[in-house]
Amino acid sequence: MNFAIETVNLNVYYGQNHVIKGVDLKIPNRGVFALMGPSGCGKSTMLRTFNRLIELNEGARVDGEVRLFGENIYSGDVDPIEVRKRVGMVFQYPNPFPHLTIYDNVAIGLKLNGLVKSKEELDERVEWALKKAALWDEVKDRLNDYPGNLSGGQRQRLVIARALAMKPEVLLMDEPTANIDPVGTAKIEELLLELKEDYTIVLVTHSPAQAARVADHVAFLYLGELIEVGPARKVFENPEHELTEKYVTGALG
Amino acid sequence: MRKVESFKVATYPAVIIVFLLFAGMLFVYFTNALPALHRYGLDLYLENVWRAAEEPSEEVYGIAAAIWGSIYTSIIAILIALPLSVAYSVFVVDYAPKRLKNAFIILSDIMAGLPTIIYGIWGAFFLVPFLRDWIMKPLYDHLSFIPLFSYPPVGGYSYLSAGVLLAIMVTPFASAIIREAYNMVPFTYREAIYSLGATRYEATKILLGYIKPAIISGTILAFGRAVGETVAVSLVIGNTFNLTTALFAPGYTVSSLIANQFGNAFIYEYMTSTLFAAGLILFVIGLAVNVVGLKMLKRWERDVNI
Ligand SMILES: Nc1ncnc2c1ncn2[C@@H]1O[C@H](COP(=O)(O)OP(=O)(O)O)[C@@H](O)[C@H]1O
Ligand SMILES: [Mg+2]
Repeated sequence: MNFAIETVNLNVYYGQNHVIKGVDLKIPNRGVFALMGPSGCGKSTMLRTFNRLIELNEGARVDGEVRLFGENIYSGDVDPIEVRKRVGMVFQYPNPFPHLTIYDNVAIGLKLNGLVKSKEELDERVEWALKKAALWDEVKDRLNDYPGNLSGGQRQRLVIARALAMKPEVLLMDEPTANIDPVGTAKIEELLLELKEDYTIVLVTHSPAQAARVADHVAFLYLGELIEVGPARKVFENPEHELTEKYVTGALG
Repeated sequence: MRKVESFKVATYPAVIIVFLLFAGMLFVYFTNALPALHRYGLDLYLENVWRAAEEPSEEVYGIAAAIWGSIYTSIIAILIALPLSVAYSVFVVDYAPKRLKNAFIILSDIMAGLPTIIYGIWGAFFLVPFLRDWIMKPLYDHLSFIPLFSYPPVGGYSYLSAGVLLAIMVTPFASAIIREAYNMVPFTYREAIYSLGATRYEATKILLGYIKPAIISGTILAFGRAVGETVAVSLVIGNTFNLTTALFAPGYTVSSLIANQFGNAFIYEYMTSTLFAAGLILFVIGLAVNVVGLKMLKRWERDVNI
């Protein structure tokens, strides 16, 4: 029960293509857990089983269990919508809704799910989320503008605010800095270090360097198989598996 | 680089031809409309009279009823076609089983391509009596105190029949644009909205907001087609010079007026010219609708810049 997420013999298939192969993974509560591995190894797929977003892909089939604080979210009586309210997500491409204002982008999850009771509470929560995402000072004077003029890094922080506004228990991030310039990347990494005090963050990254900078625990995924998992320090300084060593030293694609 | 330039130059004649055709048509309509415009002034568009007489001094024409009919039936058509085409688009993209998707798309493309006389005859033989017996009569019987429903639906030929028929005819056009846009919504926005705990209905609503420009474009296209439709409408609208909001009353539209009267217009001194003037107003309506639409799209683009 002290794990935020736990997978038990997790398998994912796209049609005939077996993409996640019998993964058993335990993600502790609080802190940054980095899921790393080369492109195409199944990181995004696995991350999307944690909030059942994988179900948007008609061809995808999930087998096994994913437990969120002990509860199997794939058991028949679980509503994926309830899962997604508890598990926020940030994407590889910063995707605030371009046709909603900055304010509405943060407020939308709250509005949809009726999570606040009044306009005042909504205002407060939006401000709180934007502050948490370290974006408030940059947008407080233009909350009613559309996000089109924000930089990539600002947009990504807006998406983080959108997710945080719902006060999720777990925050999933799929290569959140992949499409962002170095300055924006540094800001987001700094933000992660702040947020990890209160949240469980599962960070997908294809960069071992990033994992080394921000993660408390790391897992190394290769061709759909979990090769190694452990405290970041241990995995980077003293990997058990040869593949892991190759990967963290950059000898692997 | 040279290739691109020469292609650009090769397009000039086509552009010039299109422009000349448009200007030439407008010129022909305008010059032919002049005698009537000169004689009746703006009353030609503001009055509702249709007095044909062999003695030119007794001829009086005012096509307000037809202008009203064109606009009114087109608005009815849009009010019905818009939700229909949005629903159809969402259905085809989100809900239709994969194997049947193409069948539904082809179906609506065939509907779009049918000659309009096919709709007209179906409308006159089936739709008009059906609407009369199942929609108009009950509404009239119980709610005739509401002005909209106050006209006794005797024949069924009416603004409503024309509006509904037009709606059916323009839905495939509007939905082709809306469906295409809805289908092209980047997957990442779908993921984003569902990741926030949205239901399917909520997600659809948000994503439709994203394709608002396509919905506007589809509406403009549909309105343009509805205003211009001739044969089918003239078979179901009743061709009567009424000027009323009563849905069940027969009426006229500009294009059905032209189609109906043109054959014998040469008998009279001013009727042909009047019909040309009526045609001019269709140019004006078309222009107005497109300008409004472009304004809306511009505003959207300026705000949102995706
Ligand atoms: N929607 C999909 N349909 C079919 N195959 C997919 C789909 N998404 C990903 N895949 C395949 O699954 C494998 C893992 O992809 P992904 O999870 O995106 O990897 P990563 O995020 O580590 O780059 C890849 O081989 C990819 O081609
Ligand atoms: Mg990925």
